[in-house]
Amino acid sequence: MYGDDGFTIFDLQLWAEGLGISAWVFITSSILGLLFGVLIGLIRYYRISVLGKILMLISEFLKNSPVLVQLFLVYFGIPALLMIDLSPVEAAIITLSGNTAAFIAVIVISSIDAIDKKQLEAARSFAMSEWQILKLIIYPQSLAFAMPMLVGLAINQLQVTSLVSVIGVVDLTRVGDIVNLRTFEPFIVWPVIGATYFVLAKMIGIAGSKLENRFNRYKRVTNI
Amino acid sequence: MIEIKDLHKNFDDLEVLKGVDLTIRPAEVISILGGSGSGKSTMLRCINGLEEISSGSVVVDGLDVTKKDELKAVRKKCATVFQQFDLYPHLKVIENITLAPVQVLGVSKTDATNKARALLESVGLGDKADVYPAQLSGGQKQRVGICRALAVGPDYILLDEVTSSLDPEMTAEVLEILKNLANDGMTMISVTHEIEFAREISNRIVFLDQGKILCDLPTADFFSADGGMADPRIAKFLSKMGTGS
Ligand SMILES: Nc1ncnc2c1ncn2[C@@H]1O[C@H](COP(=O)(O)OP(=O)(O)OP(=O)(O)O)[C@@H](O)[C@H]1O
Ligand SMILES: [Mg+2]
Repeated sequence: MYGDDGFTIFDLQLWAEGLGISAWVFITSSILGLLFGVLIGLIRYYRISVLGKILMLISEFLKNSPVLVQLFLVYFGIPALLMIDLSPVEAAIITLSGNTAAFIAVIVISSIDAIDKKQLEAARSFAMSEWQILKLIIYPQSLAFAMPMLVGLAINQLQVTSLVSVIGVVDLTRVGDIVNLRTFEPFIVWPVIGATYFVLAKMIGIAGSKLENRFNRYKRVTNI
Repeated sequence: MIEIKDLHKNFDDLEVLKGVDLTIRPAEVISILGGSGSGKSTMLRCINGLEEISSGSVVVDGLDVTKKDELKAVRKKCATVFQQFDLYPHLKVIENITLAPVQVLGVSKTDATNKARALLESVGLGDKADVYPAQLSGGQKQRVGICRALAVGPDYILLDEVTSSLDPEMTAEVLEILKNLANDGMTMISVTHEIEFAREISNRIVFLDQGKILCDLPTADFFSADGGMADPRIAKFLSKMGTGS
């Protein structure tokens, strides 16, 4: 009804697909980043060989160089180096997982640092194993400490996913680009795209603060 | 029985324990006195392997603390009460007490909880089972610390200046509980600055000076003029602590 340049129902479909791709890239890279980040943090905390130091060095690099550069490095570098095909989405997920892992590792280390170590010694004196101490004492307390940082990181990494459009991933931002080029309606397209990110970020924030409340319950008790 | 033989402990170049020999028999209550930095805490920590010993031996009921698998058994026998309580802040009082029994001794949650409630009741904290440590006063925290130690059914209780972080009123309430424990026949090794308390509960007093045992005497002898007090270092220590004759 708007003619060639107007919005169509397919734009809505395109938006939904872009949203799906953005969410997929975000969720998978967050999960992988979390797994690797925790692993790196723990390897560092337990001082397992020089591996911890090397991994932290890589983390430092990932934290302190532009994600866009990392994205290009992975997308153009890995296929050339390993003689394999890498789809833009795969390259995006690899890059963001690594980048997220680097931040998570630092969060893990600082949250463990924040725990009073003498209670760990107490647990040890009661014959608890290191694994039990990690699971039952370190984990719950460091999670409570880390929660606000994790939520902040998640919201930030969600925005960072928009960068993957430059290597050809048809994510939410790329969809905005496509529709904008066709309709020439930047003041409709980009606010809608922006609002979509905003709503996603808010959802993460709300879910995060719910979790935060749950894990921090023991801290908010009134002191006498 | 705890047998400490020629125990040496260094921290790098610093020699903190210089050959300590000490035997603690069941139902004995031993107080360890000595100046700051004399190695009292370190000695206590060597008993349950919180510090690795440099040389010599520590054997608890035939179990060698330097052997990894035997250390675990030693730790099940010795429960420690800490100066700063060192409770687990994210767990409720009752969970602080049941954690080790459930996780380490394999006691069922129900049994552990029932026992923990009884223990809390016995130290006058029956109504505090479901609060977090942050909601307790220092004296209450330490009473929970004692319950946590008793919950594992220990053969030995190690106490490291358990009232040093408490004001006098709270000190009294904690010492009262420990006195009852001693009377019930619990074997206790207590590092303390509470001379009067040491005098009241201990069978023996061990005086540590610069990493060596200066004397190891029955309590009455320690405080007699021709016993421990005959040593000027001990006399000086006691007069500084505001006791002695
Ligand atoms: N982990 C450690 N690393 C290095 N030095 C230590 C360590 N722990 C204790 N020391 C040193 O060992 C000596 C004895 O310490 P310890 O804590 O056993 O003394 P203490 O008799 O318990 O003293 P206080 O009455 O002040 O508690 C001190 O000089 C202390 O600085
Ligand atoms: Mg000490």
